[in-house]
Amino acid sequence: MRQVGKINQALISVVLFILVMFLNGCGSEGTPEKPAEGTSPALDRPFDGATLPDTSEPVHPKGERPGLPEDINWLTNEEDPVFASPEARKGGVFRDSLISFPMTFRMVGPDSNGSFAGVLRSNAFSLIGIHPNTMNIIPEIATHWAFGKDKKTMYFKLNPEARWSDGYPVTAADFAYTLEFMRSKHIIAPWYNDYYTREIDRVIIYDDYTIAVVGTKAEPDLYLKLGISPTPKHFYGVLSEDFVKKYNWEIEPNTGPYQIREFKKGKFVKLRRKEDWWGKNMKYFKNRYNVDEVVYEVVRDSNIQWEYFKKAKQDVFGMTIPKYWYEKSKTPVVEKGYVRKIWFYNDTQQSAQGMWLNQDKEIFKDKNLRYAFAHAMNIEKVIEQVLRNDYERLEQGFMGYGPYTNPHVKARRWDLLKVEEIMTASGWKKGEDGIWVKGPNRFSVEVVYSLDEHTPRIVVLKEEAKKAGIELRLQQMDGSAMFKKVLEKKHDVAWMGWSTSLRPQYWEHFHSANAHIPQTNNITNTDDPEMDRLIDAYRNSLDEKERIALSWKIQEKIHETGCFVPTFRVPYVREACWRWWRLPKVPGTRHTLSLFDPFSSTTGGLFWYDKALYEETREAMAAGRAFDPVTLVDETYKIR
Amino acid sequence: MPINPLTLKKIRRFSSIKRGFYSFLILSSMILISFFAEILVSNRAIVVNFNGKFYFPTYGQIITGKTFGLDYEYETNYRELAREFKQGKGGNWVLLPPVPYNPYENDLRDNEYPPFPPSLKDRHYLGTDTVGRDILSRLVYGFRIAILFSLGLLAANYTIGISIGCAMGFVGGKFDLFFQRIIEIWSNVPFLYVVIIISSIVVPSFMMLILIMAFFEWIGMTWIMRTMTYKEKAREYVLAARAMGASDFRIIFRHIIPNAVSVIVTFAPFSVSGGIVALTSLDYLGFGLPPPTPSWGELLQQGWANMDAYWIVGSVIFAMTLTLITVTFIGEAVREAFDPRFHTTYE
Repeated sequence: MRQVGKINQALISVVLFILVMFLNGCGSEGTPEKPAEGTSPALDRPFDGATLPDTSEPVHPKGERPGLPEDINWLTNEEDPVFASPEARKGGVFRDSLISFPMTFRMVGPDSNGSFAGVLRSNAFSLIGIHPNTMNIIPEIATHWAFGKDKKTMYFKLNPEARWSDGYPVTAADFAYTLEFMRSKHIIAPWYNDYYTREIDRVIIYDDYTIAVVGTKAEPDLYLKLGISPTPKHFYGVLSEDFVKKYNWEIEPNTGPYQIREFKKGKFVKLRRKEDWWGKNMKYFKNRYNVDEVVYEVVRDSNIQWEYFKKAKQDVFGMTIPKYWYEKSKTPVVEKGYVRKIWFYNDTQQSAQGMWLNQDKEIFKDKNLRYAFAHAMNIEKVIEQVLRNDYERLEQGFMGYGPYTNPHVKARRWDLLKVEEIMTASGWKKGEDGIWVKGPNRFSVEVVYSLDEHTPRIVVLKEEAKKAGIELRLQQMDGSAMFKKVLEKKHDVAWMGWSTSLRPQYWEHFHSANAHIPQTNNITNTDDPEMDRLIDAYRNSLDEKERIALSWKIQEKIHETGCFVPTFRVPYVREACWRWWRLPKVPGTRHTLSLFDPFSSTTGGLFWYDKALYEETREAMAAGRAFDPVTLVDETYKIR
Repeated sequence: MPINPLTLKKIRRFSSIKRGFYSFLILSSMILISFFAEILVSNRAIVVNFNGKFYFPTYGQIITGKTFGLDYEYETNYRELAREFKQGKGGNWVLLPPVPYNPYENDLRDNEYPPFPPSLKDRHYLGTDTVGRDILSRLVYGFRIAILFSLGLLAANYTIGISIGCAMGFVGGKFDLFFQRIIEIWSNVPFLYVVIIISSIVVPSFMMLILIMAFFEWIGMTWIMRTMTYKEKAREYVLAARAMGASDFRIIFRHIIPNAVSVIVTFAPFSVSGGIVALTSLDYLGFGLPPPTPSWGELLQQGWANMDAYWIVGSVIFAMTLTLITVTFIGEAVREAFDPRFHTTYE
């Protein structure tokens, strides 16, 4: 499943630079699996259990089948609350748009990590999932799971009902094949090659429906890594050099609720719901994935997508950006109540967005100057007067990580007196132009950033910082050029955010092992023995309580270092949808990133089509009758 | 030094072409005004009279709020000071510039979000942009930058172009052939892409942008000067000068260039408008001078993205049209004035 996949990657420290905060940048990358259908004759051999034992070599070198450990403790989860609505009905066509047509339908290899990959990966279920509200493990393809004593093995019992979209059953061999597939050179995906070699050791097959997945090392939160997804062995067989080319537009059999049915390159992709999908009656999937068809049409400009939406050629429109929520939505279809606006607060990991100070630069070597800098940033003014109070202050880099977040850490606030105090105490004086100077040094730093939309925020900070005697020199750069500069640690201050993972990752950002060398994520060059000690302890601990306590301490320590000035968080999603789309009473989950995600195995597919409302609305529109405009605000998961 | 009667004739002819002449007046006054923009468009007051003492904050170091009895250590907000002095007694007063905003400051308000429409009361005569900066102020300072930029670019292009072009024409032979090939190769480099690539790696400063652009634009002038020199070199007066023992240096500078000057001068105004357009388009695309430098291109970009804030796009389009038209009219008039055939359609 997608969530697990996402986590996997983050766990081994591939942290994605967040280029676009709200636009859903590249689809979350994740573990493999792909959809397909219609192309079933790829391998014609009907399924035959007897052919199973020839599992590929990484699986079990000696060939004989091992026995399960005696004292295995099988777990499952049927107790957590469901989050779909029992009122949901099947039917309808859901239309959305893509900004560009996917470059391939492969899920690995060159060009496969575009935003459409999210759709494909969501339909590639894995062994286990995570409940979006309780964060407990829930069944996906595995009905039961168990933890090995060595802290690096997990056992899984597969659901015998599980089927590929071409009718073949999903069996143990498909999981073993995942390793073979992901380690193959022919897929031209070095990241996956490496991950599935360094992180996952092997898959052990006990019988067709019982497997163990073994990681390479003992680790906390092992389940986030070992819940791999299957790869259709019957479809790919033995890979060859032409893999990349051959499978560009092949539709891989998948395990999720939808499969691609039809597409026209550059124009549209249609996905159809599987009538007899194996998971439809499972507790956490019931009443979800309701629409019969999902159609993505390519509309290459967001302004035109908005026009499409107003004409009901597209069913939903993301409105997190204030311009849409406040201004563009002052339009007849909204005012007459044909379109509803929804503001849904979630409680999910917040990207660590803010200003990262490079401590290798002379000026930031002094902790006091870092503090002064933080107190000179009038983030509150930006929030109030530029961002319409829509954003909230990010208090620290790791908010929204549940118990791992230390709620007592608060960001330093704008405070001219404090700046004054700190600077004079450190022996600085105000120069002629009101900027602090000391000898040949002047408190003037370069802020690198990449997004046009952020200019309004930064120019306000610049003007306000001037009052505090600090000069910001703005350097807007192309995204990748900026990232390069920052990774080479050539910046003074980097204005950027990091993607999130399920658990806070400290080592890559704050451990001295990554300081002072290029191409690591420790862009602040934090180099502090005490911090190293805490981080090592955190990484080595297998005990959750201890990890949480350490996490809190590390967060305090980061705050004390003062190398990161947190800026904003956006703890919600805002969307507009036509009136005939309905959502559960609580329209999303704690971790919902889009209320109208049709597929995600964790949070998707909660909405449904209401035919009666459709007809009523269409009639009213024809007659020019208006309904009351509706703006729904849901604060179930709002942090207070 | 007495003015050459020929030059006098050209000047007279130029001023007789009304359209060009008035354009010249308008443009020069615009440039002149922009050079003293700090007095007319600035958040700093022109004069402050506080407790019987006069302050002139326009140029020089900042005067903190404490100086005027306010409770802060950063630069005085003179608009607020003016308001305060008006209410209080004591004969203190502030003379603000007609546009009391500098091009960088954000005039933000509570519960209201920019862009704000034009307002006489707030003295935002052309409204504000999407971050609350005064548009008129940004236009004026943006104009100053644009015009200085294109003059600088012109100087750079002409220096390179004239020297290399003259040398090619005068020396001829292998030197000429060599540079011809260089130019042919050079002119095939896609200028815009290179600028985009460069400015995505390093953020260009004013001088650097001039250098980058001059790097590609010297070709035009070089080509023209080469031809001109070839032509003039073959004339009898050059032969005569040479027969009298004039040095190459003297021939080029005293004979050839003065005779080619009409071409150089004629091209100048068009180069200026070309420079303005180039800077504006680069800024528009986001590859020009770094923000928050006041720039027409950036305003144009904002205007495009916020069509309902008509004042943004309206102001900048009007300003651009005015500038480019005046420059073009001047160019036409100059060409006409320098035309030895006196053939004209302007009178």
